[in-house]
Amino acid sequence: MRHQSILEYARFRWFKAALVLSALAGFAYLWHEPALKPYGGTLLGYGLGTVGAVLILWLAWFGVRKRRYGSRAGTVQGWLSAHVYLGTALLVVATLHTGFELGWNLHTLAYVLMVATVASGFYGTYVYLSVPGLMTANRGDETLEAMVLKIADLDDEIRAKALSLPDAILKAVNASLDRSRLGGSFLRIVTGRDADCPTAAAVRDLPEIGKQLSGEAAKLNHEVYTLLLQKNELLGRARRDLRYKAKLDLWLFVHVPLAIALLAALAAHVVVVFLYW
Amino acid sequence: MKLLVITQSRNRAGRTVQVRKDVTADWVRVGRNAASEVLLADPRIALSQGLIVDRNGPVYTEGEMGTMTSTTRKAVRAVRLSPGTTLDIGPYKVSALVPPPGYTGAITVELVRPAENVAGEFLTRAAKLTLASLRLPKRGVALALFALVAIAFFLLPAARVLDLPWRQPEGVAMASDRFWNPGPVLLAHQPVELKCEACHQVAFRQVLDAACLECHARIGHHVAPAMKPAALFEGRRCAECHRDHKGVKATHRDDDRFCADCHRDIRSRANGSQSQDVSDFAKDHPAFRLSLPSEAGARRVRQGGAPIEEASGLVFPHATHLDPAGVKHPGKGRVVLDCQACHHADASRRGFVPVAMKRDCQACHRLAFEPAMGEREVPHGSPREAITVVREFYANLALNGTEDSFEKAFGVPGAGLLRRPGVPSEEARRAALALAGERAERATRELFGSRLAASGRKSEQVSEELFQVRVCSACHEIAEREGPEGTRWEVAPVRQVSRWMPNARFDHASHAQSKCADCHDVARSKKSADVAMPRIEACRECHGGSRPVERKVTSNCLLCHGFHEQKHPWDPRFVPKAGARVAKGPAVAH
Repeated sequence: MRHQSILEYARFRWFKAALVLSALAGFAYLWHEPALKPYGGTLLGYGLGTVGAVLILWLAWFGVRKRRYGSRAGTVQGWLSAHVYLGTALLVVATLHTGFELGWNLHTLAYVLMVATVASGFYGTYVYLSVPGLMTANRGDETLEAMVLKIADLDDEIRAKALSLPDAILKAVNASLDRSRLGGSFLRIVTGRDADCPTAAAVRDLPEIGKQLSGEAAKLNHEVYTLLLQKNELLGRARRDLRYKAKLDLWLFVHVPLAIALLAALAAHVVVVFLYW
Repeated sequence: MKLLVITQSRNRAGRTVQVRKDVTADWVRVGRNAASEVLLADPRIALSQGLIVDRNGPVYTEGEMGTMTSTTRKAVRAVRLSPGTTLDIGPYKVSALVPPPGYTGAITVELVRPAENVAGEFLTRAAKLTLASLRLPKRGVALALFALVAIAFFLLPAARVLDLPWRQPEGVAMASDRFWNPGPVLLAHQPVELKCEACHQVAFRQVLDAACLECHARIGHHVAPAMKPAALFEGRRCAECHRDHKGVKATHRDDDRFCADCHRDIRSRANGSQSQDVSDFAKDHPAFRLSLPSEAGARRVRQGGAPIEEASGLVFPHATHLDPAGVKHPGKGRVVLDCQACHHADASRRGFVPVAMKRDCQACHRLAFEPAMGEREVPHGSPREAITVVREFYANLALNGTEDSFEKAFGVPGAGLLRRPGVPSEEARRAALALAGERAERATRELFGSRLAASGRKSEQVSEELFQVRVCSACHEIAEREGPEGTRWEVAPVRQVSRWMPNARFDHASHAQSKCADCHDVARSKKSADVAMPRIEACRECHGGSRPVERKVTSNCLLCHGFHEQKHPWDPRFVPKAGARVAKGPAVAH
């Protein structure tokens, strides 16, 4: 079975639904002749606002649904597909609900939070569609755990072989053994780099130092260097893996808090509108 | 090839356990892949790590098959598995044995460096690999943002309005509800813009008319009380048409829909309405109705039927006055008049002040009554005063007149009584008084009398021309009544119309580019009863309907009409729903 992305789910069922919803909202907006000008308080405005609010609650419910592994209400794939497309339609519905009336107020805050949430969702969709492929290609048939184990294995091997090498080389090798690290800080995880990685430094410096060696020492040095190269390559791939994983995660750190803040703003917006009707 | 594979491991007790397995294949797969004949189930091993092939004995090769997928990416290596040979495949140690009879080869496979035994110093430096492991506070941030929005934008501002427990005492403004304001209010409402409860008086209820009427106390209803407007507009609110927070300029839109909704079929809404149906000025606006003065007040007559005549009580032929050859002026000969000679714009420039005798007519229409003394005029406006002036004038002449003026005035030689020598006798006094009274009577009759009556006496008096212009009946309708006190002259009341269409707004200044005659055709009007108000067709020459049309002024209802009938105030009665929460506002600190 061909792989189907969430965008193509069920032959674009939710894309069509979102298109219909947006078109309906658009036509209603064009057809409607409000008393003064279009805004959220006209009959159509209330209608669009209700649809928008229900959409927001339903979209937020996705956060619950995706954790309910026992739920039989559709598939999570279907839910995500609908989440993406109906979230996009919400942009249309809510914008028409505003009647393009924006200002420095709670109501526009709710709108801006909604737009920001949807925008971060767009980025998340892009990430979800593009990163997994890169991740697979980067991992090959290894898992991150295997890479880490391999690096640890290489470390043992290097440690055993490097003992008899000259001090200058041993120093560089030991730095790699003792200080090479993976992840550990937000910046290193997110960038997938380690600016002062001792392994990279050793790989860079070893050939130059090893030039003076000869005979058995040179051979040993070459072997250590080969192992260091492997380690360095593994480290690079592992770090890239961390970065990809972080990319998959990071946008949610924006999307979710924005969505939750939006729920507060939406509730306040609805109550206030009717409090000062 | 037939290969004996002995997998060697240690059980919990530390004893060596061997699992033997015969493999017969052209080549033997070595790797983590479950399909591998030699399964090396350790994450450090590639799925397809290598192959054992038969080249005159078993040879282990690596990288031939798995170059693309092999993650070790090691250089190709090939090791002949002759007995005694050992080789490392990742953490495994593979030793070749002497094959038992019938076997191509035999190997033992042993995991010598189990993953859990890896020294693993590096593992401690690779502990935090995900954002989640960094304990980034996704939920915390979400909850904090939720709380921030809820508190700053709702709970604090709402404390005052809903009288919540954390309500601050007056004057302490912790958070303002100004961020609830959805948009700028009308300029005139800006003084109360920050005092929401000025209009939003009851929480969770729509703005009540009472709030509007607090300031707009004298706003007119739509129709007169006779039409029972309160019933007609039952349940309708000011805010249905007037929406604030929609910009500083207007709270309503000039939209014919508002009017046409009812006026398209007005009698279905208001059975007693005198109006005709209308939906658009260009399409179906009925002919204009003029308000004509009458004894019983204004009477509205629709144009288009019999010619409309007004009853102003005046005699005024426009045609005579607008004669291109001019009219006769007592001092200047013939003078050509235009409209502005008599019609003067009012202060607003929108309309005209009523024509006034003294300012606009009297220069020609002099009120002299004594031909010998053309300068003397009677006052205008009160017949009684005019008669008194005439009587006093002649009485004075009879007393004090010089011989010359006496003879001219009375037509007989003589002089004023007091100018004669000696004490006047009773008889002479009576004669003088009778003379003066008779002359005054005649002069009064000449002033007030109809033209016909006056012309019969022209031979005995002054020239016709002078006579014609001075009589009241030149302009007024005069009635002569005989009463116990003698003849009474009654001037018909004058009802000058200054607003023919009081329900329409018309600004003459806006139409200044047109000539008066474009709309008011009076050049050939010979009767003062003629009404020179333009018909709707004249307006439609320039004014279109509510839909834009080329070379027409787009004109909707509100261009000429207002909604609020200024004479009848809106019914301010209103009863708020019991139990509704009333917004308690401070005297807002702006």
